[in-house]
Amino acid sequence: MKKAIALALVGAMSVGLLAGCGGGSSSSAAASSAASTEAASEATSPAEPAGATVNTTDPITLTMSWWGGDSRHEAYQNALAAFSEKYPNITVEASYGAWSGWEDKKSAQLYSNSAEDVMQVNWNWLSQYSPDGSKFVDLNQYSDIIDLTQFSQASLDACTVAGELQAVPVSMTGRIFYWNTKTFEAAGVDYPKTLDDLMAAGKAFQEKLGDDYYPLALGEYDRMILMTFYLESVYGKPWVENGELQYTAEEVATGLDFIESLEDNHVIPSIPTMNGKGIDANNSIDKSQVWIDGTYAGIFEWDSSANKYQSALADNSGFVVGDEIKFGDKANGGFSKVSMGLAITETCQHPAEAAALINFLLNEEAGASIMGSECGIPNSAAGLSIAEAADKVKPLVKEANSKVMAFVDFPLDPTYESTDLKANPGGTYADVFGGLSYDEYDSTAEAAEDLVDGIEDALASAAQ
Amino acid sequence: MKLETRHKIARFFQYFVLIAVGFIMIYPLLWMIGATFKSNAEIFSGIGFIPKNPTLEGYKLAVTQNYGGDINIWRAMLNTYSFVFPKVIFTVISSVIAAYGFSRFKFKGRDILFSIMISTLFLPQVVLNVPQYLMYNTFGWIDSPWYLPLWVPSLFATETYFVYQLVQFMRSIPHDLDEAAAIDGCGPVKTLYKIICPMLSPSLVACGLFQFMWSCNDFMGPLLYVSTPRKYPMSIFVKLSMDADNGFSWNRILALSLISIIPQLIVFFAAQDSFIDGIAAGSVKG
Repeated sequence: MKKAIALALVGAMSVGLLAGCGGGSSSSAAASSAASTEAASEATSPAEPAGATVNTTDPITLTMSWWGGDSRHEAYQNALAAFSEKYPNITVEASYGAWSGWEDKKSAQLYSNSAEDVMQVNWNWLSQYSPDGSKFVDLNQYSDIIDLTQFSQASLDACTVAGELQAVPVSMTGRIFYWNTKTFEAAGVDYPKTLDDLMAAGKAFQEKLGDDYYPLALGEYDRMILMTFYLESVYGKPWVENGELQYTAEEVATGLDFIESLEDNHVIPSIPTMNGKGIDANNSIDKSQVWIDGTYAGIFEWDSSANKYQSALADNSGFVVGDEIKFGDKANGGFSKVSMGLAITETCQHPAEAAALINFLLNEEAGASIMGSECGIPNSAAGLSIAEAADKVKPLVKEANSKVMAFVDFPLDPTYESTDLKANPGGTYADVFGGLSYDEYDSTAEAAEDLVDGIEDALASAAQ
Repeated sequence: MKLETRHKIARFFQYFVLIAVGFIMIYPLLWMIGATFKSNAEIFSGIGFIPKNPTLEGYKLAVTQNYGGDINIWRAMLNTYSFVFPKVIFTVISSVIAAYGFSRFKFKGRDILFSIMISTLFLPQVVLNVPQYLMYNTFGWIDSPWYLPLWVPSLFATETYFVYQLVQFMRSIPHDLDEAAAIDGCGPVKTLYKIICPMLSPSLVACGLFQFMWSCNDFMGPLLYVSTPRKYPMSIFVKLSMDADNGFSWNRILALSLISIIPQLIVFFAAQDSFIDGIAAGSVKG
């Protein structure tokens, strides 16, 4: 009797254990089948529209997901309500949240084919989760429902993976300088427009205001982006093309020398100094006392972050969007990418109606006027003019965005932001730029080797 | 110096050190409470916890934010406890049964099974996320209105840590008591709930408390398995507006966090008594 009970008890236990183990084997099976089933059906020319029409009579339920903050949640909710007014037969069920953890959730959903019909996607998700086009619908098939002519060809190309347009590029974003002119006034210099200005500002800050003051503050990833920016303009070639790094370790070393020279000339604080001020991977510059009170007077950030950095300042009257700085004479360089897109998943039962939803949000008066610049400055030409007419575009972000877009002359490779490289701590960028700033390398050549190795590894694994 | 004065001085320093260290320990919590009354600009500008211009803005926003009627703070709390309570109860029951089996019965393969169980203690939750997600997806449990993936596993003593803790505790309970119960006519089941469980009560309360706190604070579980905003629990709700791109009002987030931990604090203090009583009560006299 005792034995029987004991066996039953342990049986219950092992069911619990097996629950974990059984799941484990099914995951690898699912992952491998996902990889093998649809071995890239490469199409060279965009697919013709499939001639689907939007059903306006039968009751249809679509699901949609996005990430963002309060104002974006509200904008989407209002826009979805407006959509339901236009198509009374379609109900949209929304799922939304903050960015942190969102990708974990969405990747699990994509792997298990249980993702929402319409998804707000990050640009690198397309190549990361759907390199063979197996997760997202080719939107070229619905070009008679979504007006793709409103989007620039370059941005559509950026969202084309495996010959399929996997997402509509909602907005473009890029990096630009922002300056706190109050501190520059105190130092007696104007905010920098050239590299010489920048170097001079470093000296002026040190002499006039003291060692604690810096004209610019750059974290590890910011340094990587600025270095790419610098190298592209000096050498006049893209960073990565056709899955291959275009720069040799020697060339990269000159870029690292440039970053070192910024540190040496008191233009940027070293990483140890910034860590000492409480700025690190988890605490961005806007939350630090040195940014709030203007001790660090400049940043190199996304155009969409303008308002966050502005509102963090104790005295924000001097906050301006700077000009892009041209470092070399071969090209402009610069850094821009698709900020986010809207995609339809392959599991969607009503792709034509989902396409109508996307078109409504991005191109149509009723939708785009509500969305405004909540997902970044609209990439759709129609959407932008509607949003501007509705006075829903943040002027600061608009200014930053148009400066970036007018300047940038190279596209970005999706691998640039792969987790292996970008993670902080642990990613290649953080290791190399952190290591360099902490004097863990004997020379920039050695650091350049590490950086190139890390990037080539990431490119190789992306190519598989 | 008189002995008494020396004692007094010693006592003074003891208390001085205790109070100073205690203050440092509790300071972040005090700061958080203070910060809920600060304006956003003030929050990052100093380490002091007394607000210069106290404002209730954070609390007002915290209780009024409702995401177009989808979810508000009260509903989020209700959602949280609707799966946390079953989870806590089932964890305690299933862990006790599993621990009873391991500590009181000899059966074939017990040691191997026990070591397998212990080895899962070192398995981080992160590696289980994807396989579990796929499994619950086949069951059709994702976004279940009853939060099935969040509490059903606790029926199967999946919290190894508690099983291990209870096994150790049960080993310290003398077998004499079981034998005495057997003489009085108790079967194995009756022995468990009449004899063992009452003596385990401090340990059971500890299990329940830990599971309660962990489940309330769990972010990843609800994030993965709850997709309908109306069903979001507190841990997701607090984070809902934290958007790194646009910035957000910290005082509201802090006020939300503070309100959300109040029930946990109440439960903790209420359970504290039985926790200590349990420890103080002796099981064998003599």
